[in-house]
Amino acid sequence: MSGLDAPAAATTLVFDDEFLRKLERLELLARKMFRGLLRGEHTTPRRGRGLEFSDFRHYRPGDDFRHIDWNIYSRLDQLFLKLHASEEDLTLHVLVDSSASMGFGEPAKFDHARRLAAALACIALHNLDRVGVCAFASGLDASLPPVKARHHTARLLEFLGKLHCAGESRFGAALREVTARIRSPGLAILISDLLGADDVEDGVEALLYAGHEVVVIQVLAEADIDPPLDGALRLVDAETAHELEVTVDRELTRLYRGQLDRRLQRIESFCRRRAVEYLRASTAISFEDVVLKYLRQGTHLR
Amino acid sequence: MIQFAYPLALLSLIAIPILLALHLLRPRRRLVVVSTTTLWQAALREREQSHGFRRLLRNLSLLLLLAAAAALALALAGPQWPASVGAAGDAVLVLDVSASMKTRSGSGRTRFDQALAEAARLVDALPGDGRMLVMTSGRRAVLRTGFESDRDALRRALAGLRPADEAGAPREALALALSLLRGRSEGRVYFLTDGAYEPDVDPGSPQVVFRIVGGPARNVAITRFDFRQALSGEDRFEVLMTVRNYTEAPVVAPAHASLDGRELFRRSLELAPRAEQTLVLSFTGRAVGQAVARIDVKDELAADNQAFAAVNPHEPMRVLLLGPGNFYLESVLQALPGVELFKGASAPAADIAQLALGHDVVVFDGIPAPRLPPGNFLLVNTVAPGLPFADSGRAARPGLLRRGRSALMRDVDLAAVRIDEARTVVTGAPSTGLQRLFWSAETDLALALLEGDIKLVYLGFDLARSNFPLQAAFPMFVSQSLEWLRPRGDGLLSTHVAAGSARAIHVPAGESRVTVHGPSGAVRTVEARDGTALFDGTAEAGIYRYASGDTERAFAVSLADAEESDVNSRWRPAERQESARPAGSGGQALLPLWPWLLALALVLLVAEWFVWIRSRTYA
Repeated sequence: MSGLDAPAAATTLVFDDEFLRKLERLELLARKMFRGLLRGEHTTPRRGRGLEFSDFRHYRPGDDFRHIDWNIYSRLDQLFLKLHASEEDLTLHVLVDSSASMGFGEPAKFDHARRLAAALACIALHNLDRVGVCAFASGLDASLPPVKARHHTARLLEFLGKLHCAGESRFGAALREVTARIRSPGLAILISDLLGADDVEDGVEALLYAGHEVVVIQVLAEADIDPPLDGALRLVDAETAHELEVTVDRELTRLYRGQLDRRLQRIESFCRRRAVEYLRASTAISFEDVVLKYLRQGTHLR
Repeated sequence: MIQFAYPLALLSLIAIPILLALHLLRPRRRLVVVSTTTLWQAALREREQSHGFRRLLRNLSLLLLLAAAAALALALAGPQWPASVGAAGDAVLVLDVSASMKTRSGSGRTRFDQALAEAARLVDALPGDGRMLVMTSGRRAVLRTGFESDRDALRRALAGLRPADEAGAPREALALALSLLRGRSEGRVYFLTDGAYEPDVDPGSPQVVFRIVGGPARNVAITRFDFRQALSGEDRFEVLMTVRNYTEAPVVAPAHASLDGRELFRRSLELAPRAEQTLVLSFTGRAVGQAVARIDVKDELAADNQAFAAVNPHEPMRVLLLGPGNFYLESVLQALPGVELFKGASAPAADIAQLALGHDVVVFDGIPAPRLPPGNFLLVNTVAPGLPFADSGRAARPGLLRRGRSALMRDVDLAAVRIDEARTVVTGAPSTGLQRLFWSAETDLALALLEGDIKLVYLGFDLARSNFPLQAAFPMFVSQSLEWLRPRGDGLLSTHVAAGSARAIHVPAGESRVTVHGPSGAVRTVEARDGTALFDGTAEAGIYRYASGDTERAFAVSLADAEESDVNSRWRPAERQESARPAGSGGQALLPLWPWLLALALVLLVAEWFVWIRSRTYA
């Protein structure tokens, strides 16, 4: 079973100060505008008391007189209300795949994923956004309800540190369960190797249907990309324990890479069609570089 | 269906489960954990789709081992494949032309006619690039064509064939046919026969395909006919005749015989089923002339219902003795039966040739002999010029006598022979016609020479200065020398030849060929060599005549073969017999498969070795 580790086995995610300072300069952006619960730093579709002008509209009885634009009334002799954009907080949902296949690789993909999740959560908390974390495999295994304020950072890191990976991944079912539990749509960052299950598209569709703006970060181990295998082997599936007898030679390795490429291209193509930002990250690249370089090249981190 | 020569060897197939068990006990593969096996499975599927047989290669090593074991086990069992033959390769068509092939069936067709029809079908079914050789099997095997691909030439050769009156000797014909196909494993021998002989003629070769024609038939035959002068006197002779009933019912066979048109006897023979009766009858007079015996029965084979015999007039051997007189030599020549002696002191050299033609043997006894003309000569204590040996002096009391293995020395015992003085001779260039009869350490004492038209016996010492004439060996030596110089075979009683056999005809000195007139009027001239002509055109039964000097002589040819007259097939249908098949269907022969299986097993083992090496490298 995936989920939370026992406290003794918990892994503490500690970032150095330099990295944290760099994170503090980053800000999460959403292309869509979401209704926040509290005032924050993100523009929302809700008109309010923000500083930024949004629009004009005719006065209707009951409107607040203070928002009437008197300059227009003096020129046109008509009552118009001056509207301002409301600035509210953004809810970030970090969805971490905790299936058994994430434990594969050196370093393990799951460690990489947790560090990425922690970094993104830190950025959000620093920008007064709400952050929730979910770990899923065949279903929702563990979740941290959205929290706001920087002092929740330690709690969030502790939650991530206690996660461990196990079980078989079923994307469609797991993410449908996740969306059922999350009440406020927001920016959903999905971190997974996307290898075990064939229903990745179903899971992403479920998130989109629930109104989330989705970012997919695919974490792959070097051994997934370039398997160091040769000879007569019995391959064991990390998730299903299914065994497969193969004699690996150059040709079979080449065919495996072809199959992997086709799968990655299929997911990337799906994400492009559905306006989902897609980022592929190898564990050979440090997560700091992933956050500070590659994620910033996208549209959701500034 | 495949047949097995050694089905018990199939027990070795037990090696397969043993190999399987050994395979299962092999070290297991190394375990490796991967994120997902889905992609590997897809890669494997892709590879198997691009190389369909790769699926089989997963356990290639085991499969190869099992296949090799199975191939070896099957090879040990000696599988044989009843292959269709006649579809490829050269073929030898052997047509039985023995007398039994003249047997008629109910429709009036002879077995030979049926065999010819079957032969024509085989020719028609010959593949486009196939070749066929036609040969006949009688008493001798005769090649009628070479390996021909021309169908018309083969048909013409078949059209010219006729059955003979001779007994068959299929074993020799099949051996010859197989020797013609040596090194051509695809070749086939088709033997078209009535099967009227013992089955042991089958050489057992899978290349031989038997086609048996004809069915059961009734036959009564004269299996022996001969006559001889009675020992009691020259005015009586005896006739021998054997008649055999080959049917399963009693038969009454009227039999009669005649000599030069004079009826000798006529009587009715009552023959029990599958029994024979022999007549030995005496007659007054001399047995000279041509005799014919017949039985008047209605059976399916007429060729053996008559038999022939010929007795030529007895003629004495004319011997001319030239010399001063020799008691011993004259005595023995006069004592020998059938010898007519003429004497003279000497003769001019110019007359010798004429004398040699007029006498069967000319004897020079102690007088100088001239260069010898064609003829038969006995030289006693003299040497003629122009011979491969020449006089070289005298040797007193030549030592221990030694003898050769010539037929002239048969029963000639020289142990007690003493010679006071002998001529010494030196032999010139080696001559194949020169035989050493007996000799001492000093010289050759007796020689026989056959060179061109000259036959001579040389005795190199004076008989009067030796005790040789006093020994029993002397008349033996002289008699056998005369018989060798002038064989008297034609003068014997009853000259009888089995149809298809060769007949040696002795021609007089000075003649180089003999003309033989067959019973149907056919004339054939045969070249003589060393005084003998070999006549082999005796396929037809009857009286054959030829001239020997001024005398007409004859010999008889008859079937008179008890086995050949047994015209019912002695083959079992379950054995190698094959019934006639439609044209082009070919025959059946058991082809041994074990060499191929052995080769396959070796190839599989080598392949398995490669796979094993490869898997070790990866491990």
